[in-house]
Amino acid sequence: MTIADIIREAALDPHVSSSADECLKCNVCNTVCPVLRVTDLFAGPKYEGPQAQRFRMAGGQQIQGPASTHVASPDHSVDYCSGCGWCTTACPAGVKIAEMNNQARGRLREGKRPKLRDWGLGQTDLTGSLGVAFSPLANFVMANGPIRALIEATIGIHRKAPVPKWAKRSFRSTWKRRGGETGASASLPGPDKAIVFFHGCAANYYEPHVAEAAVAVLKRNGFETIVPEQVCCGLPLISNGLYDEARERACTNTKVLAGYARAGYRIIGTSTSCTHTFKAEYEEMLDLHDDDTKVVAGATWDICEFLLDLHDQGRLDTGFGRLDEDLPYHAPCQLRSHGIGLPALDLFALVPGLRATDMDHDCCGIAGTYGLKREKYDIAMKVGAPLFEKVKASGATTAACDSETCRWQIEVATGVRTRHPVEILFDAYAAGDAAR
Amino acid sequence: MPHADVVVIGAGLAGLTAAARLAEAGAAVTLVAKGHASTHWGAGGIDVAQPDGARTPAEGVARLAALDAHPYAFLGGDVEPAVAWLTKHLAASGLPYVGTLETPIRRVPTAIGGTRRVAIVPDAQSAALAPWEPDEILVVAGPAGYKDFWPAAIADSLARESVWQGADRPTRVVGVAVELAGLASRNNLNALELARRFDDPALRADDLDRIARAVARVSGGRRGRVALPAVFGLDGHAETWAETRARLPLRPFEVPLVPPSIPGIRLWRALRGRIRAAGGRIEVGEMVARIEVEHGRVIAVEMEAATRSHRIRTDAVVLATGGIAGGGLVATGEGELVEPLLGLTVDAPAFDDWLLREALDPAGHPLEAAGVRTDHGLHPLDPATGRAALANVLVAGAMLAGQRALRERCGDGVAIASGWRAAQELLPDTTRTPVGQGPLATRIES
Repeated sequence: MTIADIIREAALDPHVSSSADECLKCNVCNTVCPVLRVTDLFAGPKYEGPQAQRFRMAGGQQIQGPASTHVASPDHSVDYCSGCGWCTTACPAGVKIAEMNNQARGRLREGKRPKLRDWGLGQTDLTGSLGVAFSPLANFVMANGPIRALIEATIGIHRKAPVPKWAKRSFRSTWKRRGGETGASASLPGPDKAIVFFHGCAANYYEPHVAEAAVAVLKRNGFETIVPEQVCCGLPLISNGLYDEARERACTNTKVLAGYARAGYRIIGTSTSCTHTFKAEYEEMLDLHDDDTKVVAGATWDICEFLLDLHDQGRLDTGFGRLDEDLPYHAPCQLRSHGIGLPALDLFALVPGLRATDMDHDCCGIAGTYGLKREKYDIAMKVGAPLFEKVKASGATTAACDSETCRWQIEVATGVRTRHPVEILFDAYAAGDAAR
Repeated sequence: MPHADVVVIGAGLAGLTAAARLAEAGAAVTLVAKGHASTHWGAGGIDVAQPDGARTPAEGVARLAALDAHPYAFLGGDVEPAVAWLTKHLAASGLPYVGTLETPIRRVPTAIGGTRRVAIVPDAQSAALAPWEPDEILVVAGPAGYKDFWPAAIADSLARESVWQGADRPTRVVGVAVELAGLASRNNLNALELARRFDDPALRADDLDRIARAVARVSGGRRGRVALPAVFGLDGHAETWAETRARLPLRPFEVPLVPPSIPGIRLWRALRGRIRAAGGRIEVGEMVARIEVEHGRVIAVEMEAATRSHRIRTDAVVLATGGIAGGGLVATGEGELVEPLLGLTVDAPAFDDWLLREALDPAGHPLEAAGVRTDHGLHPLDPATGRAALANVLVAGAMLAGQRALRERCGDGVAIASGWRAAQELLPDTTRTPVGQGPLATRIES
C-alpha cells in the first residue's frame, strides 16, 4: 500500500468516529452551537467531539470492551449536547461532530441501568397508548402544578416543560374504525395511486389532526393512504442512549416497510424527525446496514418534500384559497439534517395572501426530549428565547413548524398556536373550496 | 425541485459578493456551501494587493495586472468599483470599513506581537493605520487569562524595532492584562465567549470600566493608542465599539485573533443578512455532489442529502468553491490537481515540482498559482478549443489561476472583484453590453 492509497482510503472512510481526523481545529462548530451560546456546562462541539474523540479511539478503532467513563469520554459534559446537528452543518472539513457526540452519549450509558426518566422518555409508544387510554385523567395529571412538581422532584422532568395533551383516541384506532387501508386488502392501489404513511408517535397519540390533514392533502393530490403496522421510529431511544432497544424498533419497522418500499411505494411521514431517523440514523447511529434498512431509507419522504416534488412535476393541486395572514415559520434542526432546503416555505409561497416568514433562528431548544429534563430545561429556554421573542413580536396568531416537539415548545413559550405546515395547506385547500 | 436563476456555490467572500450583488438586482439566487468558509478564518480586512514595493492597493493592483497570467490582468478594473460597492453595503449593515485603493499600505500589530501590512480594514481596526507620532504610547490591553492574546508578550515583541521593519512605530509599548469579573476561574476562554459577553450591556459597562482604569494607569496620561483583542461585540458590535471608543482614555483598535475570527464572523453575518433581506437563499451544510450538464450548459445542481439528492434547477452557476485550502481544487494521490464538480481543466505544475527542497521557500510555491483559467467573462476555458468550456458557469475567487495570494496578499480583492464581475456578467446591464442574456435577463427586466 502506497502513501497515496492510505490517504485515499482515509478520505473515503465514511465512519463517524474516524471523521475526527479531518478536524482542522478551526472552531467554526463552536460559533454555531446553540447550547454553547447559553451555558458553560457544555464545552462546545469541538472539545466534546473531535478533541475528545482521541480518548475514545485506539489504533483507528473505537475502544471496545466495558465502557468505563474515562474510555467513553473524558468527562460527562457531552451529555449536555442537545443533538441539534448545527456543528456538523457548519463544519468546513466534513467532521460528523453531532453524530460523534451522540455516539459518545450512548457509550457513557452503555452497560449501566438507564435512569427511569431517560428510559421512560424513550418509551413513546407506551406513554402514548397509556395516556390515550386514560386521556382525561392523564391530561389532568400533566396539567396539575403540584403533581408536576412531584414528577420533577422524583423523575426529573421539569415542571414547566412542554408536554402535549393526549388525544381522546389514537389516529390508528380511528383509522381502523373508519375502515382505512392498513395494507390488509387483497387489492391495494398501486404505488402511483397510494403512499404508505408513517404517523410516528406524535400524530398517533397527540396530534391526530396532523395525520388527518396529511391524509386529506394527499388524497386531494390523488394518493390513497396506507397505514401499516408500525412502532415508534426509535429516535427518542437513540437520544437517550438506548441503542439496543432502538435497534429493535428499527427492525420491526423496516421489516414491514421494506416490502412496500420494494414494491415502489413511498413512505411519507409528517414528523420530520421520524423521517430523518429512517433516512439516516438507522444506518449512521444504529449501525444497521441491511437491505431492509437501505430500501426503507431510500423510499422515505418528509411530507413537504414530497408535496414540493409533486409541484415540481406539475402534479400538485394548487387550488389553494386565500389565507390572509402572517405566519412565522421555524425550520427545525431535524429538517436541516435532511438537507432538502425549506420545502414548507416553498409550499407556503403557493398560497395566495399567506405571508410566511422564516424566523431564521438556529434552535427552539427542545431538541426532542432534551428540554424536558430538569437539568436542561433552563438551557433549552435560553436557546429558544430569541425565537420566542420573534414569534411574539410578529403579532401572528398562528406559527408553523415541521417538528412536533418544537411546535409544543414554541406554543408553550409564546402562547402562539403552532401548527404543522400540512395543516396550513389543508386550510388553504378548504379556503379554495369555500370560495368556489 | 426548486429553481434558482443562479446557484452560487461557496460561502467565502467571492460567493457572498456574487450572491449579494445578484440578490440586490432582483435575481432569484441560492447560495449553497458545504460549511462556513474563509470568513471565519480571516482577519476581517480586505487585502486587495500588496506585492513587494507597492505603496497603495491601487499600485499593487497595477503591478499584478501587468503579469499576464494574473486574474487582475482582466479583473484589475473591477477591483475599485467592487470594493466600493461591497463596503457601501457593509456600512449600511452597521459594519463600516475604512480605507480605499488609494490608502497607503501600513504595518499594524498582530496578536502574536508581529506586524502585518494592511490598507482596508473594519472601522474597529482602523486606528492602527494612522502614522505613529513621536510621543505616542501603545498600550496592549486584554482580559487576564485569555490564552489567544497575551498583552505582556505582545508588548514585549512590539517594543522591538525589528518587528516594524523600518516603519514608524510607537516609542513606548506597555502590556496590561485586565481582570474581568467572573473570568478568573475560566480555563477555556475563547473569542466567541468574550464577544458575546461584550454584547451584554451590563457586563460590558463593568468590563470597559476596568479596562479604562487599567489603560489610564499604565499610560500615565500620555497620548497614544490601545490595542485590544478583536472581541468587542458580535451582534451588538456597532454599539459596543462606539461605547468602547467613548469610554477608553486612548484611541482603541482591535487586533484580529486566531479562528474563529470575530471580525470575519461579523462580515459573514452582514453579507448573509444583505442576501437574505434581498430575497436570496443561503443553504449552508449542503455539499454539492454533482452538477448536471446538458448540451454544454449547467441545468441543475445536486446536493448530498439524507437518501436522495436535493436538486436545484438553475440557469447559471457561480463556482466559488475555493482553491486547494477551501476544497475547490483537490489533489489526487496520482499527483493531479482536479476540480471535482465539473472536471474543469486545472492549470497546475507537474507533480515533480510539488515538493520543493526548501521549506517555506521565499520564492513561493508553484502550486500557489495553480487554478482554473477563464476568459475575461470568467467562463472556464477548454484548453483544447481555447473557448469557454461551459456557457453558463462562471468561476470566482481562489480557484482562479495565476494568483499567489499568500505573497501578493490579493485573495480578498480577487474574491470580491471576481464575485462582483460574475454577478455583472449574469445581470442585464444597460450601461454595458449585456453578456447574460438568458431567461434571467428577461425575467429581471420584466
